[in-house]
Amino acid sequence: MSAIFAPSLPRPRRILAIAGWAGLGVVALAVTMSDFLAHAPANELHAGPMLAPPSAQFPFGTDLVGRDLLSETLHALSVTATAGLEAAVVAILAGGFLGYMSAHLPKPAGLVLHWAFAVFAAIPALLLAIVLIGLTSRGISALAAGLAAAPLAFVRAFDRASRAGGARHADYARATGVSASMLLRRDLAYEFRDMFLPIVARAFASVTIILSTLSFLGFGATPPHRDLGLMIGAAWPNYLEAWWTAGFPALTLVILILLARLAAGLDEGERP
Amino acid sequence: MRVFALRESGRLAFGLLGALLLAAAVSALSLPGAHEGVQGFLAAMASRLLAYATFDLGSSAVSGLGAAQELIARGPTTLTFVLQGIVIAAVFGIPPGLLSGAASLRNALAPLGQFVSAVPVFCAALLLAYVANRLLGPALPGTPVALLPRDLAGWSQIVPPALTVGLAGMSAVQVGLRRASVTLEDAPFRQGLGRLGLPEREIERFFVTPVVFAGLLNSLGEVIVALLSATVVAEWVFHCPGIADLFVKSVALRDWNMVALILFLFAATAMIADFAGRIAAHAVAREAA
Repeated sequence: MSAIFAPSLPRPRRILAIAGWAGLGVVALAVTMSDFLAHAPANELHAGPMLAPPSAQFPFGTDLVGRDLLSETLHALSVTATAGLEAAVVAILAGGFLGYMSAHLPKPAGLVLHWAFAVFAAIPALLLAIVLIGLTSRGISALAAGLAAAPLAFVRAFDRASRAGGARHADYARATGVSASMLLRRDLAYEFRDMFLPIVARAFASVTIILSTLSFLGFGATPPHRDLGLMIGAAWPNYLEAWWTAGFPALTLVILILLARLAAGLDEGERP
Repeated sequence: MRVFALRESGRLAFGLLGALLLAAAVSALSLPGAHEGVQGFLAAMASRLLAYATFDLGSSAVSGLGAAQELIARGPTTLTFVLQGIVIAAVFGIPPGLLSGAASLRNALAPLGQFVSAVPVFCAALLLAYVANRLLGPALPGTPVALLPRDLAGWSQIVPPALTVGLAGMSAVQVGLRRASVTLEDAPFRQGLGRLGLPEREIERFFVTPVVFAGLLNSLGEVIVALLSATVVAEWVFHCPGIADLFVKSVALRDWNMVALILFLFAATAMIADFAGRIAAHAVAREAA
């Protein structure tokens, strides 16, 4: 099983990767059952007193308008994870997949695409996502986050594919008359067969950070569909007096990103 | 070296050209004709490129001030955070980065490092603001941001945002160092030098450390992107009116001319840092070889 989740990692990291996937599985279960697990429906006002600290009745406390923060955090986790998955798919297709394909285009076309994506990759992804939302609407924040994360993924995939294209097996294949498209299919199959799940987890970690920061800054999720970033942003004015209003959603977000990072087999500090 | 420098200069020139085209495309959105089909947009973009060629950066649609004037007014705040961030990233990032090259220490520090790496910058900023509020009292709004403040109020104003930016850069510094040290762990020259009778410490000091630092310099562009990205959040959370804060407000108010200039400024900064880092890394690696 470990070979499926993290084939190329050393043993300790492979164990962590499996732990990360197991954690993400639990998150997926919590997201699927969030309506059942939560005590209150999303955005139910006055479920308890205003700004009640954590207690047996309200384990995460309540916010300024008396919402049960445990229920709200579960609903927000569901919104964050769903949007993160959508954005990760966009980032993989517009970044990793396109980058890999572009490396097999005729050299001038590939280099022009690499140049264009490298220019975007020099701009922080958060800024790109903000511009994309400014140009369109907050409703497409998942798409914007995915597209903003794509340039870096494109450049990485392009460079990896270029290295594979110059490898010995590719030279032999070309010399024996294997067509370029057949070679591309072979390289793509190897790339995604061995690395698919780590790539998905890495993209998910990357876009979740972008999405939650967008929501925190007011460019992402819109009420009533609050995600974790928006919950933290909404708690910002009064979290100095009531830490739990931002503390629990932030801890949930950190755990979600941590699990995705572990699943991706990332090094400490490595940019997803 | 000359060939390498020429190739890198070409890469930088093409990169800057791309950033300029991007800025012109975004800035064109502020012109009335840009929304009249592809031809109108291209004409607007060409007119912005011509304006840039004559150093006409246009003006802010929000304040009415010249764009250059806005950037000059807000630049020092952002520059202060970036400079302080670089210092913090170097001071707190380089020693653990070098130490964590050792496998045993690295394994011991890995869980903490993974957890810290998973904290989004805005959560770290809120945590730092919380701690600063508890330790130093509420921040005084309107206190000017200084590189080296002279009083406690100034320090309490500057430390949390500078730490926010610096911690983001610190991760990038550590990764750069670690990547380089991991590739050298089983390098054949270590064994060779050992057989020649050189003690391990000397091999580390004269042959390994310069190459590890070259690895860090190689990822300077990545470090700068991390710092700039964190500056956006730090200026927003700590209410510091810098360029990054202006960027967020300009997008919200659809002031595309200012947005374009800030995008160009950030992209150019990252590209120049990447260029300088690669050249310096190449020189250091050659010297070590």
